[in-house]
Amino acid sequence: MFPASNMLTDPHKSMALRVCGLYKQYWRRAVIWRKRTKIFAVNGIDFEIATGQTLALVGSSGSGKSTVARCISRQERPSAGQIWLEDKEISVLRGSALRCERTSIQLIFQDPATSMNPHFSAAEAIEEPLVVQKRGARKQRRERSRELMNLVGLSPAWADRNVMNFSGGQRQRIAIARALAIEPKVLILDEAFSGLDLSTQAQIANLLLELQATYSLAYLLISHDLGLVTRIADTIAVMSQGKIVEQGTASAILGSPDHPETRKLTASWTKSQSVFSAKAGTTT
Amino acid sequence: MRRKIQTRLLIVALIGLHLAVLFAGFIAPYNPETQNRELPYAPPVRVHFNYSGKVHFRPFIYAETTGQGTLDEDFSRPYPVHWFVRGDDHQLLGLFNSNLHLFGVDAPAQMFLLGTDSFGRDELSRLLYGGQISLAAGLLAAFVTLLAGAIIGTISGYYGNWIDEALMASAELFLALPWLYFLLVVRALLPLHVSATMSFMLLIAVIAVIGWARPARLIRGVVLSARTRDYVSAARGFGASDFYLLRRHVLPQILGVLLTQAALLVPQYVAAEVTLSFFGLGVSEPTPSWGNMLSVLQQYSVLRSCSWLFAPAVALVITSVIYWLLADTIRYSLKSS
Amino acid sequence: MNYLLRRFLRALLLMIGVSTLCFLLSELAPGTYFEDLRLNPQISQQTIATLNARYGLEQPIALRYGRWLEAAARGDFGYSIAYSTPVASLLWTRAGNTLLLTITAMLLTWILAVPVGVLTGSSRRLDKITAVASSLLISIPEIVIAVALLVVAVHTRMLPVGAMQSLGSEDLSTLARVKDILLHIALPTAILVLIGLPIIAQHIRSSVVEVLEAPYIRAARGLGIGPVRILFRHVLPVAANPAISLFGFSLAALVSGSLLVEVITGWPGLGPLILEATLSRDLFVVVGGAMLSAVFMIGGNFVADLLLLVSDPRIRTGAQD
Repeated sequence: MFPASNMLTDPHKSMALRVCGLYKQYWRRAVIWRKRTKIFAVNGIDFEIATGQTLALVGSSGSGKSTVARCISRQERPSAGQIWLEDKEISVLRGSALRCERTSIQLIFQDPATSMNPHFSAAEAIEEPLVVQKRGARKQRRERSRELMNLVGLSPAWADRNVMNFSGGQRQRIAIARALAIEPKVLILDEAFSGLDLSTQAQIANLLLELQATYSLAYLLISHDLGLVTRIADTIAVMSQGKIVEQGTASAILGSPDHPETRKLTASWTKSQSVFSAKAGTTT
Repeated sequence: MRRKIQTRLLIVALIGLHLAVLFAGFIAPYNPETQNRELPYAPPVRVHFNYSGKVHFRPFIYAETTGQGTLDEDFSRPYPVHWFVRGDDHQLLGLFNSNLHLFGVDAPAQMFLLGTDSFGRDELSRLLYGGQISLAAGLLAAFVTLLAGAIIGTISGYYGNWIDEALMASAELFLALPWLYFLLVVRALLPLHVSATMSFMLLIAVIAVIGWARPARLIRGVVLSARTRDYVSAARGFGASDFYLLRRHVLPQILGVLLTQAALLVPQYVAAEVTLSFFGLGVSEPTPSWGNMLSVLQQYSVLRSCSWLFAPAVALVITSVIYWLLADTIRYSLKSS
Repeated sequence: MNYLLRRFLRALLLMIGVSTLCFLLSELAPGTYFEDLRLNPQISQQTIATLNARYGLEQPIALRYGRWLEAAARGDFGYSIAYSTPVASLLWTRAGNTLLLTITAMLLTWILAVPVGVLTGSSRRLDKITAVASSLLISIPEIVIAVALLVVAVHTRMLPVGAMQSLGSEDLSTLARVKDILLHIALPTAILVLIGLPIIAQHIRSSVVEVLEAPYIRAARGLGIGPVRILFRHVLPVAANPAISLFGFSLAALVSGSLLVEVITGWPGLGPLILEATLSRDLFVVVGGAMLSAVFMIGGNFVADLLLLVSDPRIRTGAQD
């Protein structure tokens, strides 16, 4: 039913994340009458991310980017395909096996206001993964959360402050600290910058790059903001209607886009760039 | 600030009410079932402080000689009111026996602070003991209903799919039923004369069977919205089990709903018990309950002349108003948090 | 159209569900019920045999359920032992009286509640004055309100208590008879209005308040549009929506909402009938009454959905929210 993937079946050692032949379908019911239509949100996707590298998944809304993120992080079960995290295949895991393996891949959400329980303090939010995975006693968890706060640029003195008393950018930092608590190999940044203002975006982007270098993390960046993508991504995959229509290094894609979809995206981006530089009255 | 004082006062009033009823044995001067056939429908006794021109600190009463709605005092001998007297045996909190009462007078005078009913039984004592039954019915029924509603609502909202649809469909069915009518149906199925405990339990069960639907729907809504939050997905991403997610993230959200519902349902269920007992379908004689104490008012003559027998209605109103104000305060504080 | 169909199907399913429930409930006691009958010397063996044959109590449960559904659809609710008449005829007469009372009460309640709700919603001062009375009335249980008004009626001797018509009223002229009925209906109607008015008025009030706080109302005021025009042209149409579904719910409670009041005031409606039947364990009457009130409730809810469809354009166009 699903066409076989044309990737090599033996995993490369240096690949942090490999996705082969990912499909995700939904049923849509029209009325009470039994007409159910099959919709492929993800229609056959292959890509890989090497350790310490960033792949950006771009495309217009509805192209399936977020569904890919949800499938890879196992928030939903893919209809078909393989997901390799280093040397473990996680697409069909369930129960306690899944609970064990999914710590290697973590998600940073778009809205920092809703991604944490509003009754938690910063420390509670950051320690939660450790609590859930039952790692370390209370004292050790405390130390680790303070360590992590320092790492993401937050003062540990604020550890007991309620999460809602931080600004949006600071909350994203808490979210990053939380994700790092269980030492993942892959971080999915699902529109993680959309809710922030430009200068905060830049700060968070720099933080993430530092962390990537220090811990050899692989990032999957999902965004519609090409400016951000140029800053962070090593490779880019363009999605349209559930498929990847073009894939390659950042410079190649942005410099000479092939597919009409890619051209559309880059065109609108370069146009906005020139608008800004014209307004500023300076040349770029 | 005013709100805080108001809440404190309300809670104090509520606790006071429940304690008074709980310690009915101690506060009530007489046994609720002791009949005084020679003094039926005696009006409340008048408490005097003034004896032949002198004011006494200790109140006293005169013995009542006849009942039947008129106050006939026998002025030959005053009976001072004593505190902490020994009187009828009673069980305190169902645990230990005692015969200590808060106040009383020496025999043969009887201190009917709220008069007597058709059998000459002390209305005040019956009011307090009856309060035990009526309030307990309301509290227990509310507890059972909320427990059932919470469990069903949580399962429905958390697991979704066909379980959710099935449970909510049956909730809708139960919500579409006019509750009093179906209460009567269930009651009609059961034998008419059951023991007091049996009818009490039956009452609670019937109310719970019909009443779980509304809280279940409310809780399902809260659970559903909590379940779809990002922080729940995030926690699942760290490998949290369903149990952890429910305990840590979902259930704290429903506490607010449960509290408001409790404050709203308790008075409703107390009123339900009163209504049923009033019709003779709830707690039956001789056990007093505010409901069956009021049913004597269905007689025209009693309705006209024995105003003291309305005491259970007043008690019901006080209870309802306190609970309602409390519910209002809870709702307000939840909204502002 | 889709919406209507779905709502209708839902109402239908609910009715089937309720009738199944009633069937199951009436099934729960047939053994003991008919044994009780057998022991009752007033009922001949012949009657029992006829009843048995008529209701096919010896047949398997599926068949009995089918017969039940078919009978219920026809309006045949069984036979009353206490009155020795078919349940349906008993119910219809009494239901008529109940509806007379509840429709009168509902109309009066709404006629009063709408202006009260709108006025308290738009005027802070009025709101403060009525807030305490309104809250008090809502929190006091129905039975207390009913008994209280009864006491007032008895003490002032203003209104007759009990029954629908005075003795010997058949001899009076039509006008006098109508007046007589009006006097009798006054007390139960007053009780029902006192019970329902604060709730409905509060709902209308809160939806008016909500609308008044909307930005477009402030904009309208800023444009210099007079308060009366704002009220009628901008506020009321929007605030009407929740009120309309509330009206539907009032319809739903037409049969079931007055049981208590009828019993206490002696109005000869469904209420006292069902109560008597419960006390004498006349099962078919009780179940029949319950079914009737449930049917009204479901029907009323469906009408509420219909009214909402007519008034709220969002539902007609199928807009997603």
